[in-house]
Amino acid sequence: MKHRGRIARSAALVVAGAFVLASCGGSDDSADGGTTEGTAQVTDNETCGTGTLVWAHEQEPADLHLDDPENGLTITAWIRAGLLEGFYGVSSKTEFVPELLAKEGEMAENADGSVTVNYTLRDGLMWSDGTALTADEVKQTFDMIMAKGADDAYIYLLGDRTGLDTITDITVTSPTQMSVTWSKFFAGWKALFGEVYPMHVFSADPATAAAEVNEALRTWTHNGATLPSSGPLVFGEWNKGVSMTLTCNAGYHGSVSPDAVNRGVAQVDSVQINFVADTDAQINAVKSGEADMIMTQPQLAFEELSSNAEITVASSAGPVYEHWGLNLFNKHLKKPEIREALALAINKADVMAGLYTPLFGDILPATGLGNTYWMSNQGTYVDNQGDAGYGKGDVEAAKAKIESAGYVLGADGFYEHPADGKLTLRVGTTGGNKLRELQQQLLQAKFKEAGIEIVIDNPQGGAYWNEQPFNEDALKCAGSGGKEGNCEVWDIAQFAWVGGPWPGGMSSSYRTGAGSNIYGFANAEFDARSDECDATVDDAARAACYNELDLYVTTLTKDPQNGLFMIPLTQKPSFYAVSNTRLATFGVAPDANSAGPLANVVDFKKN
Amino acid sequence: MLTYVVRRVLTTIPIFFAALFLVHVGVSSTTDPLANSRLCLPRCQAGYDMLVEKYELDKSIWQRPFTWFGHAVRGDFGFSEVLGAPVSKVLLERGGNTAILAVPAFLLSALLAVLLSVYSARKQYSRGDYVLTGFSFLGLAMPTFFFGLFLQVFFGVWFQHWTGLKPFYTSLKRDDSWLHLLQSATLPILTLTIVSVAADSRFGRASMLEVVNSDYIRTARAKGLSERTVIWKHALRNALIPLVTLWALGFAALLGGSVITETVFSWPGLGPAFIAALSKPDLDLVMGISIFAATVAIVFNLVADILYGVLDPRIRLD
Repeated sequence: MKHRGRIARSAALVVAGAFVLASCGGSDDSADGGTTEGTAQVTDNETCGTGTLVWAHEQEPADLHLDDPENGLTITAWIRAGLLEGFYGVSSKTEFVPELLAKEGEMAENADGSVTVNYTLRDGLMWSDGTALTADEVKQTFDMIMAKGADDAYIYLLGDRTGLDTITDITVTSPTQMSVTWSKFFAGWKALFGEVYPMHVFSADPATAAAEVNEALRTWTHNGATLPSSGPLVFGEWNKGVSMTLTCNAGYHGSVSPDAVNRGVAQVDSVQINFVADTDAQINAVKSGEADMIMTQPQLAFEELSSNAEITVASSAGPVYEHWGLNLFNKHLKKPEIREALALAINKADVMAGLYTPLFGDILPATGLGNTYWMSNQGTYVDNQGDAGYGKGDVEAAKAKIESAGYVLGADGFYEHPADGKLTLRVGTTGGNKLRELQQQLLQAKFKEAGIEIVIDNPQGGAYWNEQPFNEDALKCAGSGGKEGNCEVWDIAQFAWVGGPWPGGMSSSYRTGAGSNIYGFANAEFDARSDECDATVDDAARAACYNELDLYVTTLTKDPQNGLFMIPLTQKPSFYAVSNTRLATFGVAPDANSAGPLANVVDFKKN
Repeated sequence: MLTYVVRRVLTTIPIFFAALFLVHVGVSSTTDPLANSRLCLPRCQAGYDMLVEKYELDKSIWQRPFTWFGHAVRGDFGFSEVLGAPVSKVLLERGGNTAILAVPAFLLSALLAVLLSVYSARKQYSRGDYVLTGFSFLGLAMPTFFFGLFLQVFFGVWFQHWTGLKPFYTSLKRDDSWLHLLQSATLPILTLTIVSVAADSRFGRASMLEVVNSDYIRTARAKGLSERTVIWKHALRNALIPLVTLWALGFAALLGGSVITETVFSWPGLGPAFIAALSKPDLDLVMGISIFAATVAIVFNLVADILYGVLDPRIRLD
């Protein structure tokens, strides 16, 4: 009964989410996203004012400057998602969607190999201080980020300039229109201008403004005044160690997110983020009515909330996905048959059922993850491993592969190789992650059936990565094609990546000789194809190209000898729980680095 | 007495500095302030260099504490990156918040410990003594977070569900209302009290039993003094001596920040600040809280020594 109830709720939420998305393309403007009951209509709320939304969260940022090395927490980006908007936002499908733009940027390829994108901003964009947000301010933001100081070096701490540094021209043609030219195509172009800063409150000189912005972003104030917002919220007050308050932006120009139902201003007076470090205390805060919502990584302790009639668990696909990375120079793993046997024997559905499905229903595919470039909730996702027949717990096929490599089943139930000995492999990760350890145990049992001994070796503390995969000798082995260093330091590494709408960065971990290529994969064809993919202008063709690259990584299709050195396991759901006695409606919360629960804060309404 | 105090303070100073020196070296050798910056090099080269200069990472970890000491003796404890404020300000604010919990919890637990000790000693092996002993063992055996979470669920969730009333908050309700402050502080104070009372009452009972069975108490009773006078005037005074040591250590620990209780109740005291500082690492704040905790421990141990003389005139500190 308990599980049926959860599944029913999850199913209802998925259907509700689907209605939201369907409504965006439709003409009747009806939707049911993020409501706790009934069918909501697309609305245009004109005033703030149904009380304070209280969000209990475990992380507190050191400051609000995202590029500060002292900072770097997801919560910082999530808070800023409610304060500043950019050209593109991130949807619940982890895809870029126009935010300040009236429509998608229009790209044209020029004869000299450069590309130009014409952008059109939405009409009526406003800052919370009543100033119009224009294309000039976008250009000033760019000039400020690219400003150099007196020493001719970039101003420290002002954003990742990757992609911005190849812009050769920005021309503003009207308050709402501008064109940007890159010397060559940059595949991650939609990730740029993700935030436009309120440059009208800073000095006109870019270098001076850069220094001012650097300082202002930490406390979100400049010259004693709060920075104006282009998002639905305005920074209010921050009691360090206790709470942060963001107030409703009464002059907000409205959201055009496909996930949002309300097109007007936020319906709450303010959002209060209470920093509650303890997981159980977060649960008690929601149950006692002292918090209206929590959003966090899934943890076993949250399971009880899902059976509480007063709480709605609105889980979503998270950006964190788990893998097993294989050392291609391990004496067993260097044989493609053994790597394929691992991929065949693994049963991702067991892992999903053991970890996530009971609590999160069918929010994620029960078959687990089969791609390292795209996540399962993205439209571009292809289950490459599933299509190759992997991940389904096919023990007999796995055994056949192992035997074809010359292994013989021993008396202890594990295979042995005449030269390389018993088929035993160590899997390691940073110790202390209970969910991950449970995952390893589930897989260990399945591999035992296939005659593969898996030894779980998770050092406590932060020692694993430095001492094993990134050990100097291990890296030497990977970089030298197994000729130097020590190739037996590690066998299988379990780790997670955080995905986003643009997965192009993945290739850099797989390129020949790359510093983060711990597996020892080297394939000139992959490297060349990777360059081609990054230079592919058409979105659909580029997505297909990345899927092709993934075939090198997760299957033996493209590289029968060295391919299949990664086994994607599962994508984690995000746990999002709201009080349905205190909230009349709630927003879709895309779990992505630039989104989070405040991305659609306009849809929250208190009872 | 004065000579004793001066001698104690003087002997404490080298221990004090040695402890702080080791804390600084220990934290420096087990943490890496450059960890995040390494990932974004060369983009963050300027920031990287700034951190090297700020934390003197180009110097030996044995040398670095001396710079901090140099500033500290001039009253400059540095700046907390985690909390975005000077360490002295953090100590004042967070220390104040911790004291809101620590002082009532200490007074309540001391009072209860005395009452329970006297009761248990006078009614040794009675049903009440067994019940109190059982609860004391429960209090000693169960971890602090258990009591914190139990009280949170019981009063914050279940009680409200049963009665519709909400007497206490499960975390600090931040406004100007004294009532809300009381409602927020009650559960963490109770948690600290339960944990302290469990240990103190066991020590108090043992001490009291030893005293009530001594010759001078038998003499007092033989003289015809009332039982109340024997227990509360003659026995308790001597029985308190071991408790005073416990109280001094316990109160100093409470003032230094109750990491678990303050974390469970999201109370902005020194405990969570210390954890945040250690995990960052925020060396200035770690050192600031360490110096505060060490000072409090030394002062209260000194107070305990002085109280021995007050409780037992035979003890002469000179």
